[in-house]
Amino acid sequence: MQDYNFNEYFDRFPLAMAYVPWQHLTQIYEDLDKAYCTGTIFPELTKPFTGRRCVQ
Amino acid sequence: MSYKMNTEQENMLRNIGIVDFVTIEMTEYLDTHPFDREAMEYFNHYMRMKNQMMHDYAVKFGPLSLSVADTCGKEWKWALQPMPWEGGC
Repeated sequence: MQDYNFNEYFDRFPLAMAYVPWQHLTQIYEDLDKAYCTGTIFPELTKPFTGRRCVQ
Repeated sequence: MSYKMNTEQENMLRNIGIVDFVTIEMTEYLDTHPFDREAMEYFNHYMRMKNQMMHDYAVKFGPLSLSVADTCGKEWKWALQPMPWEGGC
């Protein structure tokens, strides 16, 4: 499985496509109770979407 | 007919839920990173912990899954626990 570095090849990526940067294991939450409530054990994946519309 | 869980049972269930969640998260990570040794160690650690907790729970309150249903006892506890709609889990 190839490990792409997003920044390195950025200028070679075709336009109008969507890309997902590769995740690297760094740490997991020490407080697993918090991880359970947050919905992920990976701090870098904690994305609290608020569900609000974008404000211009 | 409604079964009321005590605090210890609720706590054990919640903790099993948390550790189960960690193993699922690690499984998903390993699906895309199958050679990550550190993630495999995390997975093994929490899977062992979960198995132990499932076993401890089964001894006290009855089996949560058939894999920890003990057939050595004199009764089939799987069928004797309260059903989910009776307040069991």
